[in-house]
Amino acid sequence: MNRRTTHTEGRIESVLATALAVGTWLISAVISAGVLLSFFPAGTPYGSQVIMAGIGLFILLPITRVILMLTLFVGIREYKFAGVAAFVLAIIIASLVIGALYK
Amino acid sequence: MSVGTEIWLFSVSVIASAVGGMLGMASGIFIVPILTMLCHVDLRNAIGASIVSVIACSCGSAAAFLKERLTNVRLAIVLETATTAGALTGVLLAGRIPKPGLFFMFGTILLLSAWQMVARRNDPVSFRSHSSDRDSRVRELDSSYPDHELGLDIAYRVERVPVGLILMYVAGLISALLGIGSGVLKVPAMDSALRLPIKVSSATSNFMICVTAAASAGAYFVRGEIVPAITGPVALGSVVGAILGARLLVSISNQRIRLLFAAVLIAVAAQMLFAGFAKQ
Repeated sequence: MNRRTTHTEGRIESVLATALAVGTWLISAVISAGVLLSFFPAGTPYGSQVIMAGIGLFILLPITRVILMLTLFVGIREYKFAGVAAFVLAIIIASLVIGALYK
Repeated sequence: MSVGTEIWLFSVSVIASAVGGMLGMASGIFIVPILTMLCHVDLRNAIGASIVSVIACSCGSAAAFLKERLTNVRLAIVLETATTAGALTGVLLAGRIPKPGLFFMFGTILLLSAWQMVARRNDPVSFRSHSSDRDSRVRELDSSYPDHELGLDIAYRVERVPVGLILMYVAGLISALLGIGSGVLKVPAMDSALRLPIKVSSATSNFMICVTAAASAGAYFVRGEIVPAITGPVALGSVVGAILGARLLVSISNQRIRLLFAAVLIAVAAQMLFAGFAKQ
């Protein structure tokens, strides 16, 4: 396994690191805003809606990470690993569908 | 839900997550016991809140490991096929397992954690002993990581991937059922099956946890089983706690402190097992 260069190796990691770090901070800010909104007693359905949106985004963040890995692997022509990423994505989608259909 | 309750949930989650993080464990392991025992949150709501906070902590801490090139991203995506398949199975089983059963499972996992904390982890193999190149397919997962103490890159091999996949499937299943990262089950898989260096297995396991948790959390989310008034403060609190815990990690190498926390884990396990009996 010598066709990987250290150049491409570091790049995948740093792209994923940035995406996950930025995503976590942004979504934490959204949930914080929702929690603060819910402290106001008058007319507060917004608070829990904003929190719910933040939670939804937190669930989408790892899914985005898998999609990102898929495209990065395609970019460096490691189609086998791109295929594995696509398979993981398919299982997650299946889990969401099952969650929606069966209790 | 009142302002007081939200602040209480937030504070309790900070402590739970900081203690978990300090011990180098997935910070979710204390969230469910504390929410159910101390805050009297329903077990299933606690599991829903915990699994979302597990995603938050795993995503938040992954960046540091990635930048240090400790995470094996190829191995992670291969093992994630098994952990997400396990999570999918967990989603199917979740509603069918009665609450006492869940309490028993949780108690058992806590006991296992206590045992792991006392037993010292050693690097599973010395890296000089290379096995022959029988299986060239698996070799694509081999990699190297920078060791700062030695100041050089250390190459390592990934062994026995099929056994690793089976153990990861079980870890994914338990993660979905109990709302934990189930690092406690991934550690033996990484050590005894794949024979990875400790730093690599911690980083890679942490990286995989958020995807595993997203598969089950997504299903609970679309089912409407996640309560925003509980989950919001708990997720925020555990992110803050995880950051604090990582700072405190240095001081925990002391064996006496490890024994103390193992005792705490056993006490919490006993509580969970007792709750299982009481609810039967």
